[in-house]
Amino acid sequence: MAREENIDVLIIGAGASGGVAARHLAEKGFSVVCLEQGEWPDRNDFRGAEDDWELAIRKDWALSPNIRNLDSDYPVNAEKSDIDPLMFNAVGGSMVIYAGTWPRMLPSDFRVKSLDGVAEDWPIDYFELAPYYDQIDLEIGVSGLAGDPAYPAHPDYPLPPLPLGKAGRKVAQAHNDLGWHWWPEPNAILSAPYDGRNPCVQRGVCTSGCGEGAKASTDLTHWPKAIGAGAKLITSARVRKITVNDQGLATGAIWVDPEGREFHQSAKVVILAANAIGTARLLLLSNNSMFPNGLANSSGLVGKRLMMHPFAVVTGWFDESLEGWQGQFGASITSYQFYETNPQHDFVRGAKWALSPVGGPLNHVLPMRAGTEVWGEQHHELMNRTFGKGATWAIFGEDLPEESNYIELDESLSDSSGIPSPKVHYKISQNSKRLMGFQVERAEESLRAAGASDVTTANLLRYSGWHLMGTAKMGDDPAKSVVNRFQRSHDVENLYIVDGSVFVTSSGVNPTATITALALRTADNIVKSRSLQAVPS
Amino acid sequence: MIELDQRLISQLTSIADVMLPETPQMPSVSGTGSFEASLLKVLDSRPDLAKGLKTAIDLLPKETFQLSDLDALLTKDPEAYTALTTIVAASYYQVKEVKVRIGYPGQVPKTYDPYAYVEWVQEGLLDPVVERGQIWKDPREEIK
Repeated sequence: MAREENIDVLIIGAGASGGVAARHLAEKGFSVVCLEQGEWPDRNDFRGAEDDWELAIRKDWALSPNIRNLDSDYPVNAEKSDIDPLMFNAVGGSMVIYAGTWPRMLPSDFRVKSLDGVAEDWPIDYFELAPYYDQIDLEIGVSGLAGDPAYPAHPDYPLPPLPLGKAGRKVAQAHNDLGWHWWPEPNAILSAPYDGRNPCVQRGVCTSGCGEGAKASTDLTHWPKAIGAGAKLITSARVRKITVNDQGLATGAIWVDPEGREFHQSAKVVILAANAIGTARLLLLSNNSMFPNGLANSSGLVGKRLMMHPFAVVTGWFDESLEGWQGQFGASITSYQFYETNPQHDFVRGAKWALSPVGGPLNHVLPMRAGTEVWGEQHHELMNRTFGKGATWAIFGEDLPEESNYIELDESLSDSSGIPSPKVHYKISQNSKRLMGFQVERAEESLRAAGASDVTTANLLRYSGWHLMGTAKMGDDPAKSVVNRFQRSHDVENLYIVDGSVFVTSSGVNPTATITALALRTADNIVKSRSLQAVPS
Repeated sequence: MIELDQRLISQLTSIADVMLPETPQMPSVSGTGSFEASLLKVLDSRPDLAKGLKTAIDLLPKETFQLSDLDALLTKDPEAYTALTTIVAASYYQVKEVKVRIGYPGQVPKTYDPYAYVEWVQEGLLDPVVERGQIWKDPREEIK
């Protein structure tokens, strides 16, 4: 096994949080190496501008690694899960295929125990994180409009909001008539040139890769700057174990290349940034005599409390063309009307809505998100009635943490390097089912008020696990959490986790803005406390 | 490139003509005149579907195919069903004439004025939302 130079910080995973941490640590003079199992995305490979786009998103550009089945992916056993986890393994990580909506968590999201008597409060609050949200908005290049009364006041976004589109205006007016909240959705998608990147051209293909580079992902926004500051990024490098010394400090990681050769990268500090399934998998793989139940797992919570957000789409069909295949995807408008707990409901917490395009012809006629499958003459009638005339509320509900939702190592399934795969155990809760049922009914009401002549619904979709959270909980009590408020392991003093694993609760919003703000805060703390940092001798 | 002989293409076209028949507004699959070329492009993009497509054609009746046979195929071999329906729909909607008929230019770029929002803000579209005031809960106020 080859050994490489000892460096200050080893980051495992080059996605959202890994990119942010790498850039900020490298810019502060840390020597940084990142190991990423995927490759750099090549925008020439993206299919959004091609005729076969809707075919590609059902295979090579599918959101599920189990469908793509690329060598850079690892299979996930989801037989025991109501939701299939979605992710992308590459520089930029799952940001390459996310929608790009960029909401912050709300203040109440950090205090659900105190406010609603469920789950736990976070050890930090919104206001402590707010300066990092402000900073990350600038680095990412967020398009939006400040002043949303669903949020505390914060500085304006660096770019104006993306177009509302015909559908956005129609539904916005309906919400005004209903007295319901709406606001232009903040998107991590450029509405104008910014930081050397091109603006969005409204193709509506964001979730299969943005060929223009308008949608933010850290391969564009952070890695070039990190590498410019001296960080080293090694791709096709799959980590199989974090190594520790006799003092219980992390000493680096063992990784394998596609030819099966093994290497060890030594480091003074190790940062995990591999998403809430990949990180938990790696901690469980890194057990040893000192940590028999997995690294950093004295609490027994590594891998547990997995949250994935129950998801529904409610599509309104109108009598006029809305060019429903076009526009940021992403979203045009959002609504937090039914986000906070209402004592009159038979569930706690709520959901965030985002109005999105519907896609091209195949998305109308084949089951995926909005499609209704029908053949014969009725097929043409369906297309005439729906094509280009739809607008979809995409609804994420808050997913409360439960220890019965967890990942473990699969006994037989493994990746192309022979490393055991994760096996997911996840059931959608009764609270989630009641919550989503209510939200779907209100979304139907919204679209009908906007003039939709018909509404179709797909609730609790299986292929919807974009948002992976909770498997290495943050907290002040080492017996009840995996990392502390600065995302440092309670057990291993030079091991940090900066991805969505650390979420105490899920909120009901897309998590990437929060993941990156937290990663920025943790990097900032590593810099500030570097003289106190325990490191292996 | 996947090899589909003329017999299979002919059988598939017959099946597809029942799935997507001619109407006053839309051509049938064979009526597009370029279904075969489109089919080959689709199979070039998705060679993984070829096996399922061949299975579907083998399992379905050739001369007497009717829509209810699709239900039986779905029950018997879901993978073959998905391959058949995906390929037929994708091949049809990639034909230029069909795209024109449904008014679909493809996922084409579109220009816009990023500062056009000023107009609808000034028109007052957001005013009712702003006038209703704060809707976020402040835990510092709620938890005493």
